[in-house]
Amino acid sequence: MQKKTLQDPWLFVYKKLQDNEIISRKKIQEVDDSFFEKFGSILKQVSQKAALEESTPLAPLKEEEQDGEQKTETEQLEYRSIARDSDSGHETLLDTDSEPDENEKIDRYVEAVGWNIDELYLEILYEILHNVGGCDVGYEVGQLAMLTYVQEAFKIANDKHTELLTKAEAKEPPELMLNVEVVEAKDLVPKDPNGLSDPFVTIYMMSNSSQRYNTSVKSCTLNPVWEEHFSLPMSGNVQDDSLCLEVWDFDPAETVKEKMTKIFEVKGVKGLRKLVKEIAITASTGKHDNELIGTSNIPLKSIPAGGMTMWFSLSKKSKLKRQGVVKVRLNFSSEKNSQVAAQEHRHLLRIILLHELENSKVAPYWWCGNFSTPAEAILTQHAAQSGISQLDNSLVQWSVYCAVTPDHPLSFALFNQLLDKVSKPLQSALINEEDVKIFWDGAKKLLPTCFSHIRKLRKKTAGDKTVMKTLREVLKILYKLSLLEVPYTIELFPKNLYGWLREDEGKLTINEVLNQAVIQGASDWFVHILDNNECKDNTEESRLQHLIRVIQLVRSDLQRAVEYYDRVFVEVMNYKYTKALYGLYESKIASLVEPEVLEVCKCLKRLQYNEGSTTSVHLAGGLNGETRLGGPEVSTEPLAMGTTLFELYLALQRFLLLGQGLNETEWHTYAISNFHSWFFGGVAQWLDIAAYKALTRIEKAVDLDKLVPVDSNVKYSSSGVDTLAIFYQIKIFWKQLAWPDVEGCYTFVAKIVDDICRCCVFYSDKMANRVENVGTVTTVFEERFEVTTEWCVAINNIDYVRQSLEPFVVEMGMDDIIQKMCEARSPIEAQRCKETLQNVIANAIDTVKNKIVDLLEMMVKKMMPSITRFLIEGAELLHQDCSRMDRVMRYLEANLDTLYQHLNNENFSRTLDIVWEQLGEVLYELIQANLEKRRPPSFFSNLHECLKVMIRSFRQDNKEVYTSETLKRVEYLLKLHGMETRELIHEYHLERWQDQQSITEPKMGVITVRAQFIEDNLKVEIMNARNLTPTDSNGLCDSYVRVTLHPEDSFASIVKPKTQTHNKNLFPLYDEMFLIPLTSEQRRISDGLLHFVVKDKDMFSMSNTFVGEAYLHFSEIQDTPAPIGSLPQQHLPLSKPTNLDGDAIKALETRQGDKQARDFLKKQKQKTPTKQQFFSLG
Amino acid sequence: MVEDNDRVYARTQNKSTLLKIVILGDGGVGKSCLMSRFISNHFDDHSFHTIGVEFMNKTIEVNGKQYTLQVWDTAGQERFKSLRTPFYRGSDICILAYAVDDRSSFNNIKMWLNEFLHYAGVKNGIERYPFMVVGNKSDVSSKDREVTHDQLRHWCEENKIATYIETSAKNDNNVVEAFSMAVLRWVELEQRAEKELGMLHHPDTVTLHGGSAASSFRATCCSRFSDV
Repeated sequence: MQKKTLQDPWLFVYKKLQDNEIISRKKIQEVDDSFFEKFGSILKQVSQKAALEESTPLAPLKEEEQDGEQKTETEQLEYRSIARDSDSGHETLLDTDSEPDENEKIDRYVEAVGWNIDELYLEILYEILHNVGGCDVGYEVGQLAMLTYVQEAFKIANDKHTELLTKAEAKEPPELMLNVEVVEAKDLVPKDPNGLSDPFVTIYMMSNSSQRYNTSVKSCTLNPVWEEHFSLPMSGNVQDDSLCLEVWDFDPAETVKEKMTKIFEVKGVKGLRKLVKEIAITASTGKHDNELIGTSNIPLKSIPAGGMTMWFSLSKKSKLKRQGVVKVRLNFSSEKNSQVAAQEHRHLLRIILLHELENSKVAPYWWCGNFSTPAEAILTQHAAQSGISQLDNSLVQWSVYCAVTPDHPLSFALFNQLLDKVSKPLQSALINEEDVKIFWDGAKKLLPTCFSHIRKLRKKTAGDKTVMKTLREVLKILYKLSLLEVPYTIELFPKNLYGWLREDEGKLTINEVLNQAVIQGASDWFVHILDNNECKDNTEESRLQHLIRVIQLVRSDLQRAVEYYDRVFVEVMNYKYTKALYGLYESKIASLVEPEVLEVCKCLKRLQYNEGSTTSVHLAGGLNGETRLGGPEVSTEPLAMGTTLFELYLALQRFLLLGQGLNETEWHTYAISNFHSWFFGGVAQWLDIAAYKALTRIEKAVDLDKLVPVDSNVKYSSSGVDTLAIFYQIKIFWKQLAWPDVEGCYTFVAKIVDDICRCCVFYSDKMANRVENVGTVTTVFEERFEVTTEWCVAINNIDYVRQSLEPFVVEMGMDDIIQKMCEARSPIEAQRCKETLQNVIANAIDTVKNKIVDLLEMMVKKMMPSITRFLIEGAELLHQDCSRMDRVMRYLEANLDTLYQHLNNENFSRTLDIVWEQLGEVLYELIQANLEKRRPPSFFSNLHECLKVMIRSFRQDNKEVYTSETLKRVEYLLKLHGMETRELIHEYHLERWQDQQSITEPKMGVITVRAQFIEDNLKVEIMNARNLTPTDSNGLCDSYVRVTLHPEDSFASIVKPKTQTHNKNLFPLYDEMFLIPLTSEQRRISDGLLHFVVKDKDMFSMSNTFVGEAYLHFSEIQDTPAPIGSLPQQHLPLSKPTNLDGDAIKALETRQGDKQARDFLKKQKQKTPTKQQFFSLG
Repeated sequence: MVEDNDRVYARTQNKSTLLKIVILGDGGVGKSCLMSRFISNHFDDHSFHTIGVEFMNKTIEVNGKQYTLQVWDTAGQERFKSLRTPFYRGSDICILAYAVDDRSSFNNIKMWLNEFLHYAGVKNGIERYPFMVVGNKSDVSSKDREVTHDQLRHWCEENKIATYIETSAKNDNNVVEAFSMAVLRWVELEQRAEKELGMLHHPDTVTLHGGSAASSFRATCCSRFSDV
C-alpha cells in the first residue's frame, strides 16, 4: 500500500540542469528566444565571466609596453609620432600642462650657456692640462681625448679653442693641496716589551721632506684610530711626487703614558713646560728615540682626481714581513672660493650633461649618472681642482639634474641616490641658506616630472618591472622630500606648473599634491576612457554597452592599482592609492550612469496587448483555460528587452563590491552604494515581461508535452520540468540581483511569488485542457473512455508544479528577507510581510489543489457513461451466474489500477472519493430511470449485489463504507427495489412497527397485551384497549381485535385469532388468551411481527371499520416457560397509516403490474383516515 | 499517507469566484485598516506604514454566490511607487481610498486613478472597469470633515465612476458593504460584457472551462481567476 511520495520537486530540476538537459531543451526556449535562460543562468555565466575579466587587469594600452631594454630616444620619438598619427587618443595623456613651455626652455638654455662660457672653457682646459691624480679615468683617457671632448661639449670653434688652449698653457700651474686624513691603522708590529706599541704617524711630501706632519700618539695599541686631517701643499710636479707616510712607536723606553704620569710628578711650572716641549720636539723632528714601525709611499699619480680612501701596507727596509696596514683618505683641493667653484661646476656639469644626452641618445628616464669617460674625467678634475666637496658635488648634481630633467627626464633612481647624500646634511642644517635654496629650486623642477609620472602611470604597463621600479623611485623621492622642511620663501608648487591643482588650498604639502595628482590622473583616465569609447550610435543598447565598457575599463584600472601600484604607494608613502582612485571613479560613474539608467528605465515600453479580440492576454489574471496568448507583439520590440541593462546592474554590483572591500566602514557614503535604486523601474518591467513570457512558454511547453514521464523514476513529464525550469531561472535572476534594500527585496519577491503562483494556476488549466480529449477508445461496438497514463501524468504534473511553490519561496530567501525586515523595521511588520507571502502561496496551493480535483472529476465523469452501460447490461441478465457484473468490474479495476500505479496516494484517494460520489449519482439516476421502465426487482437486486461487490473490492481503506449520503440512499433504494413484493409488504409492516416506536402520546388509544413463546408455541393474551377512537354515530365503538402474523405467507397456515366484539365501549376489556402453535421454522423467523388490528363491528355493512393497529416484534416477545400472568403487560399505542409515502409503499407503487402489490396498496389506503372521518371527528 | 493533510481541500471553496482587488490611495487614509477590518474584523489604532504591498484573502457571499476576494493592499508613500505598481496588472477591481478628513487625499484620487490606469493597462475605459471610491474615516466629527458626501458623489459622476461609499474602518461602518458593492459592480460589468458578446455572437458562448470569452470585452487587465 505504501506509495512513493514525491520528493522535493526541485531535486529533479537541479539534476537535469546539471546534466544540461534543460539548457538544451531548445524547442521550448525557442518560444521566447531563451528569455529565462538569458536572464537566469546565461546572464549569470556572463556576469561570472565579466567578473573574472575584471579581476584580471588588462593593460589597456598594450602598445605602450616597454621591454626591459633601453630604448633610444629616436625610437621613442618615432613611436610617439606613430602614436600621434594613429590618433589613439592616448596622447591626451601626454605631457601637457606640466611641461615647460617654449619660453621657459629658451630661458633655461640661456641660463645654461649664458655664463661667461669662454672663461669656463679656459678654466676647464687649464684643469685638463694640470690633471691631478692619475689612476682614474682621466689618466687613461688622456689629455687629448679630454680636450677634444670638451671642445665638442662646449661647441667651441677650432681657432677659438687653439687660442684658449694657448692661454691655458701659459697659465701658472694651480695651487693645489693634498688633503690627507689619517684614519686608522691595523695589525701593527708591537715594539714595546708589553707586546703593544704607542703608534703615531708622520706624513710629508717627498719633494719637501722637511715639512712633516705628525699625528697624536695612541698609547698601548696595535690598532690605533686617529681620524686626523692634514692639508699638504703640492709642488708643481704632481706626476713624480709622492706622499710618504711613516708609522712610529713613540719612545720605547718611556711610553707617553709614563711620560704623562710624570706630569703629576713634575714639580713646578718649569718642569711641566719642559716636559711638554720634550714631547713636542720628539714628535715633530723625528730626532728622538722613537722606533720606526713601517713606511708607505703613495705616488700622487696613483690618487684619483676624485680622491680615494685606501688601506696601505707598511714596510720596513730590513724586514720582509708586513708591518701592518694604515687607512688613509686622500683627495685634492684648491683654494678657490667654494661658491665660485660650485657655480662653475654646475655650469660645467650642465654643459657636459646636455652634450652627453645629445650624443648618447639615451631614452627618457634612463640616464642614471653614467658619463662617458672623458666627461667623467673632466668633471672629476674640475671637482678636484676646484676643491668641491662630496656634499657640494651632490648638491651641484641635484641642481643640474633637476634642471635638466624637465627637458630630458633622467632616471629617478639618480635623484634618489643624490637625496640620500644630501638629506641628512639638509636636515641637520649643515648647508648654508643659499645652497638650500638651490636645492629646493631643483626640487621644484623635479617635482612636476614626478607628479606627471604618477598622473600618467596608466601609460606604463604595470607588469613591467622597470615601471614598478620607477614608480617606487618616484615615490621615494617624494617621500624623502616630504621629510625635509621647505623654506618659507620657497613656493614649491607654482600655479603655472600645476595647472591641474585645485586652487585656494593654501600651501600644499607633497602628500596633498600627491593625492591630487593621483586623482587628477584618474580623472584624466576617465576622460580618456570616455573619449575612446564613444557609443556607436544612440540606441539604448549601445548606450548601455558603452556604460558597461566604461565600468569594465575603470574596474580594470582599479584592479591594476590593487595588484601592482597600491602596495608600492602604501609601502613608500603610506598612501591608499586604490581607495583614492575608487573614490573618484565611483562618483564619476555614479554621475555618468545614474541618469542614463533612469532614462532607460523610464523609456522602457510597457507591455501592450491586443485589445478587443479574443486573443488578448490577461497577463496576471489571464489564467482561464480559454485565454490565448498571442498578439503579434510578442516578437516585436517592446518585449525584446535585452539583458544589457542587467549586465550593467551586475557590473555595478561588482564595482560596488570592490568599493566595499576597499572601504569597509564608509562605503555607504559612496554615491554608487545606492545604485540598485536606479534600476527599480527596470526590474519591475522585467518581472512584468517575465510573467508574460512565462505564460507563453508554459503554454508552449504543454503543447509539446508528450505526457510521458521524463525519467523512469518520476511520474511527471516534460512540461512540468520546463515550468520548474522557468521558476528556476527566475530565481537565478533574482539571486543575482541580490537586491540590497530589504523593502524593495520583499516587494519584488512578493511580486515574483505572486507571478509564479499564477503561472502555476495557469499551468494547471493548460494541463487540464491538454489532456481533456485523451483516452477515448472507439471501436466498432462502442466508444469508451479509458484512464490513460497521460491523465495520470497530467495530474502528477500539476501536483509536481504545485509542490514546487513552497520550496520556491524558501529558496527565494523568504526567511532571510523576513529576518532583515525584523532588523530594519519591526518584528510586527516583518510578520505582516511574512503572512502576505504565505497567504499568496496558500491561496495558490488551494486553487491548484482544487484544479486537480476538477480535473479528477472531469476524468471520473468520463468514466461514467461506460460504467452506466455496463451496469445496465449486467443488471438485465437475470439470474445468470455471479460474474454478471464482470465487465463493469473489469473496467473499474483496470482504470483504478492505472490511477493507483501512477498517482500519489493523496490524489488516488481523492479519485476514489470522486468515483464513489459520482457512482452514487449515476446509480440514483439509473434507479429512477429504470423504475420508470418498470424493471423487475431482480434488475435492482443485481445492481445491489454489484454495488456490494464493488465496495468490497475497491474500498480497501478503513473509511466509512458509504462516504456520501447519495451512496447510502442508493444502496437502500436498490435493496428495496430488489425485493419481492411480499418482502416489500413485510418491509412496509416493519416500517410501521418502526414508526410505532416513535409514538409518545397515543392519539388513537392503546391496546394492552401480553405475549410469550413457550417452546414453539406463541401465547398471546389480549387484555384490553383504552381511549379507542369512536367510530359510530353514538360516539362509541363496537370493537374487536384480530391478530395476524407477518410475513403473511410464512404464516399462511395459521388461523388468525380474533376476540369477541365489545359493544359501545371505548375501554373494552377483552381478556382473551390465544395459543398459536408454530412450526420451528416459523418460530425462527427473525423479523416476524404480531399485528393487532382493532376494528369496529358494523351491523349494516359488509366490511368492518378500521379503528387502529399496533405491532409487536418477535424480538419483543419473551421466550419463557413462566406463567403468562407473571409477565409485564405491554401497552401498544394504536395508530393508522397516515400517509403512504414510505419508501416501501413507493416501491410497491412502482409495481403496477403486480396484483399482490396492487391489492395491498388498496387495502392500506382504506386504513388511512378519510376526509369524512376527520370531518365526523370534528 | 495523505500528504499536506494540514490543508483540507474544500470543494465548496472551489465553487467561488476568485477576484483580485487592489486598494490604492494616499498614505494614512486607512487602506490597511479597511482591509484588516474586512478580512479579520479587527481595527488597530496605532497603524504603521505598509511596506510595499500586503495580501490577504477572504470569501464572501454576495447575492447568494461565493466570491474569494484576493485583496492587495498597497503602500501609499511615494517612495514605494515603483514597488507597488507591478501589482496593478491583473486586478479585477480597484478600490480608490481617501480620508474624509483629508482634503488632499481626496484631491489625489485622480492621480491614483491615472496611475492605476497606466500600470494596470486598463484600456477599455473607466466605465467598463469596476472602480470603487471609498471615503474612509466617516467617523470623524463634522468639524474635522473636509470632504462632504456630495463632493464625493459629484467627483464620481464627473469621472464616470458608478460606485462610491463612505466607510469607517474604526466603527465597522460600511466596510463589508463597500467590498460587496465593488463585487456587485464587477458582476454587473461582467454580465453586460457577456450580453454584448452574446449580441455579437451566439448567445451561448460560455464555454465549459474558464468562463466566457466575454472577459476580453471588459477592461483588458481583468479576468477571472477561476472557472465557474
